[in-house]
Amino acid sequence: MTTLAPQVGRQRSRRRPTSRTLAPYLFVFPNMLIFAVFTIWPAINGLNLSFYDSSNGRTFRPVGTENYTSILSDAEFWAVVRHTAAFTIGFVALSTAVATALALMLHAQRRGRGALSAAYFLPVLISPVVVGIVWRAALDRQTGLVNQVLSAVGLGQPGWLVEPSLAIVAIILVGTWIHLGFYAMILLSGLQSIDTSLYEAAKIDGSTPWQSIRLITLPLLRPTMMVVIILATIAGFQAFDFIYTLTGGGPVRATTLMVQYIYENGFSYPIAYGLASAAAVILFVVVFVVTFVNYVIGRRSEAI
Amino acid sequence: MSAQPSTQSRSVSPSSGPASPASRTWSSTTGRPPSTGAVVRTTVLIAGALAVVAPVVWAALASFKTQSELAQTPPTLWPHQPTLDNYTTGLKAFDFTHYLTNSLIVTVSATALTLVINSMAAYGLSKYNFRGRTVLFLITLSTIMIPLQVILLPVYQIVSSLGMTNSLLGLIIPPAATPTGVFLLRQYMLTLPDEMIEAARIDGAGEWGIFWRIILPLSRPALAVVAIFSVIWRWNDFLWPLIVAQDESKQTLPVAIARFASQQAIPFNQILAVSVVTIIPVVIIFLILQRQIIAGLAQGAIK
Repeated sequence: MTTLAPQVGRQRSRRRPTSRTLAPYLFVFPNMLIFAVFTIWPAINGLNLSFYDSSNGRTFRPVGTENYTSILSDAEFWAVVRHTAAFTIGFVALSTAVATALALMLHAQRRGRGALSAAYFLPVLISPVVVGIVWRAALDRQTGLVNQVLSAVGLGQPGWLVEPSLAIVAIILVGTWIHLGFYAMILLSGLQSIDTSLYEAAKIDGSTPWQSIRLITLPLLRPTMMVVIILATIAGFQAFDFIYTLTGGGPVRATTLMVQYIYENGFSYPIAYGLASAAAVILFVVVFVVTFVNYVIGRRSEAI
Repeated sequence: MSAQPSTQSRSVSPSSGPASPASRTWSSTTGRPPSTGAVVRTTVLIAGALAVVAPVVWAALASFKTQSELAQTPPTLWPHQPTLDNYTTGLKAFDFTHYLTNSLIVTVSATALTLVINSMAAYGLSKYNFRGRTVLFLITLSTIMIPLQVILLPVYQIVSSLGMTNSLLGLIIPPAATPTGVFLLRQYMLTLPDEMIEAARIDGAGEWGIFWRIILPLSRPALAVVAIFSVIWRWNDFLWPLIVAQDESKQTLPVAIARFASQQAIPFNQILAVSVVTIIPVVIIFLILQRQIIAGLAQGAIK
């Protein structure tokens, strides 16, 4: 990856030594400064904060691992963990499966692919806050669009945002609705990079379209699918904004996920910086481990 | 995958496909009738697209209904007496122009700042060989793993100690350095020939002049992609503005709408009307730049 210019630059460095050697540092400086101040330093400090207690948000008292022990014995924290896990697993499975099916169909579709893609991509453009508002109207028990359609085909009027177990399903469906177009476009570009001569060869050898998908497309699409699964996993663990206006974390806190828990402990009364920081560290570790495991599995399956 | 310069050219291709002679089959360009599979696939794709778009269209229609019609059972699909009241009263009650101005200032200046510093960093990391280059690139990449959500509190503390809470600067600056932007631009700049830079140096151009007058214009396709995603993201961002702009006068549209929507006294059709207005700008941008966005997704994701 050695580039030509710098070597030439080094030979000629006797003439203008300072500007040439300083230039790269000056170019990367503004970006690195903001990274350092607003990402790297806070990340280190966040870990540090999780070992302190602050009841009023001002004075900080070192408490060792007390935040971790108290959070791990907190029933509410475990409820949040269960809901976050249920949402993330459901969201990753559903969105990856539907996006893959959608990408395969869009790939085969010649006519109107652009318009169809644009329609599926629309939710990506909408502010998650507005998504929550729109779906709160659409999922209303009596007047919502969803139940209008369901009761028209005789499926009753389920209380989407009233019953805790249905509310989890609702946020999984809405989360999938938001990200579907984005993931499908990534998968579509993965499909387009597959060498078409492979399909022609398979066709000559007498393989059916379904065999081609199973034996050529899906194995070659696997790296792209891993990208989507990793992106979806991270998005799942970080879901907050559309839920905030869709359910507000209810009913009976059934849709209060990890980020809302961190936000509430850190920014609304009673403020519990220490608990929020410990929860944030735990969330980071979980996201990191899950992403890493996904990555390793993806790498290994590629090698086979 | 190399970055195609084709995205640079005007994408209005000279009428796709030959002008086919009036053929009797309506959905096939080959002259053969469509296969059953193709018909099923097209039907499923269209039905799915309608289902995806339906809630937004339905909500947009509801924003033209009167309050009594909205509460009516059985509900109506099409507004019987379409009214603009929700828009006029909603936008007035809500001080829409103020939040719109905040959102515009934040989106435009944050995107400009992101483009400048990301492209500078990308140029430094792609075209110079210097001590610490690999380390800096790895640090940049690793920050993808540290999303705002998990460092919310410590970032807020920093911003607060710098006196940037309740100011638009606090909304603009902290999230401006995006690792994905640097990564995308760096990958693109690696494909630009080094000889060109050397030729410019021989002609006496300074390092900054080379970057500003040669590298940036050539990187336009990649810059467009980063710009589009930055605009969509900043326009819609919620969590960061929510904690930084606690003062109402500094709020952006999503934060103000969320607050508006949480007030029980506000009729829901007004909330919908305000929501519909905020969707329009990004949808227009998307429809204009659709090709670049899709091409950019392809470049950014498959690496």
